[in-house]
Amino acid sequence: MDKDIRQGRAVVLLNEHGKIIEDIDTDQIFHNAHLHITDIAQMGPYAFGNLEGWKDFPKNCGEGDILIAGRNFGAGSSRQQAVDCFTALKVGAIFAPSFSAIYFRNAVNSGFPVLKIHDLEALIAGKGIVTDDVIRFDVRSGRAENVTRGTAFKIEPMSPVQHDIFVAGDLFKYGKRIK
Amino acid sequence: MGLTFSEKVLSRKAGRPVRAGEVITVAPDYYLSHDNSSAIIGEFKKLGLKKVVAPGKIVIVLDHIVPAADEKYAQNHKVIREFVAEQGIPNFYDIHAGVCHQVFSEASFALPGRVIMGSDSHTTTYGAFGAFSAGIGRTEMASLWATDEIWLRVPETLRIELSGRLPHGVYSKDVILKIIGDNGADRANYEAVEFAGPAAADLSLASRMVLTNMAAEMGAKNGYFAPDDKTLDWLKARAKGDYEIVRSDPDANYEAVLKYDVSGLEPQIACPHTVDNVKPVTAVAGKPFHQALIGTCTNGRLEDLEVAARILKGKKIHPRVRTLVLPASREVYLDALKKGLIEIFLEAGCVILNPGCGPCLGAHEGILAPGEVVVGTSNRNFKGRMGGRDSEIYLASPATVAASALEGKITDPRTYL
Repeated sequence: MDKDIRQGRAVVLLNEHGKIIEDIDTDQIFHNAHLHITDIAQMGPYAFGNLEGWKDFPKNCGEGDILIAGRNFGAGSSRQQAVDCFTALKVGAIFAPSFSAIYFRNAVNSGFPVLKIHDLEALIAGKGIVTDDVIRFDVRSGRAENVTRGTAFKIEPMSPVQHDIFVAGDLFKYGKRIK
Repeated sequence: MGLTFSEKVLSRKAGRPVRAGEVITVAPDYYLSHDNSSAIIGEFKKLGLKKVVAPGKIVIVLDHIVPAADEKYAQNHKVIREFVAEQGIPNFYDIHAGVCHQVFSEASFALPGRVIMGSDSHTTTYGAFGAFSAGIGRTEMASLWATDEIWLRVPETLRIELSGRLPHGVYSKDVILKIIGDNGADRANYEAVEFAGPAAADLSLASRMVLTNMAAEMGAKNGYFAPDDKTLDWLKARAKGDYEIVRSDPDANYEAVLKYDVSGLEPQIACPHTVDNVKPVTAVAGKPFHQALIGTCTNGRLEDLEVAARILKGKKIHPRVRTLVLPASREVYLDALKKGLIEIFLEAGCVILNPGCGPCLGAHEGILAPGEVVVGTSNRNFKGRMGGRDSEIYLASPATVAASALEGKITDPRTYL
């Protein structure tokens, strides 16, 4: 039960003009040059290594941080390192209006919360979410709360299969459970 | 209400009628992986199992960094070869074969009605043959090796109807770039994209593969062309095993239907740094660049090399441009060699790369320095993908790239054809 409710610090992925960054692709998240790395524990330092303005992200991020990104997050390659680098850094969740299909599946199968956020543009424009705000959210109901500002917003609840894998831990643990 | 292709294929696999949006568990017909098999092997070993469930369904093609560019890649390849031997995996293609999607198609694992999962995002390519094929990640591939089962959400379908006739100098690459440019890189997220209409039927299978390959660049889960006589001709000589032609019902329920008359289309080019930043070539003509890339799994088949060779024959590449030719497979390379195309490329001043992914993914063989610009026929132009963070990638048809390589600047190919 408790696993459904999470809390963390918001990190809003803005560009140098203060706009939310859209189409953050897998090469910006985890560049091809590091694809030989197969140990998840070693992937953290390369997260966002190719995303303009965010190269220091691995140094600055904290456990449980909630990344807030623009539409089509994770476009491109099927490389799972682009999800694993965030789990290595103990990132808590990613909220975006949409994710690429394979990225979304990879995250679901890793038991890593990727959640679609509603009305992100209005939230950003109205300063409804700013980096360092504390966010509490429920993956089951889709309720989300900006604890710092005392406001509420909506995320899309996990689908049943996403939630089952999330609760089990990952795809392998989920597979063992249904056997 | 009828069913779409994807709903039908997945209904057969699930053993019950399913509709878009449902989540089902199926056993695919084949699962493809490449150099990332070493990471998959690592995941598989974590499960504590000794043997993969269905070795005959596993297809492994080494293509990403071949031959190995350094010791780390060499070690990964070694791990894969040892695993293949130990598990008795019959369908293994070592570094000589080519890009997995071309090799998989030539070896005719891509058959109508088959369900194929690949740990590569361009696995969508096999929809050109009427298969259901989608990309997955490493964990899921390890899970497939262990269980022969995968969960899938039955996708909604976006139908794209193509009519008219392609003008001279305009190709399937221009068609798909135009569609992605108009609709956005996430228009088809999680969806099946079905290409239909008379202009789709006019395309060769090689040209259809360009569309299904790049369906991934509009976010699609899978792409699809209904098999026709051209498909059957291709299969006649190659098909391994039986297959079943599956088509969408005439009254199938589509998420949307987009219509394109290709008759008025001009050559298109995707500009940095997203595939949906598409303009007519004429809008950026004259832009100087440093490297040209002709080939890849998107446009490295014989018809692509023929168009490029026709433009380059008897001419010299601009002295400021390095031109790389990357046949999609050994079979394509051999055919090009026999037809004299390789000689034309060499005399024009091109460098012929061994079939494989080459510089497309920025790991070796033609990495860009910061600030350099490449004009290529590949499928992705993400920032820094092919090397330096500040390098730029433009994507176009083989004709546009060949004509541009001669001029040393982005050039409308129609004057050369």
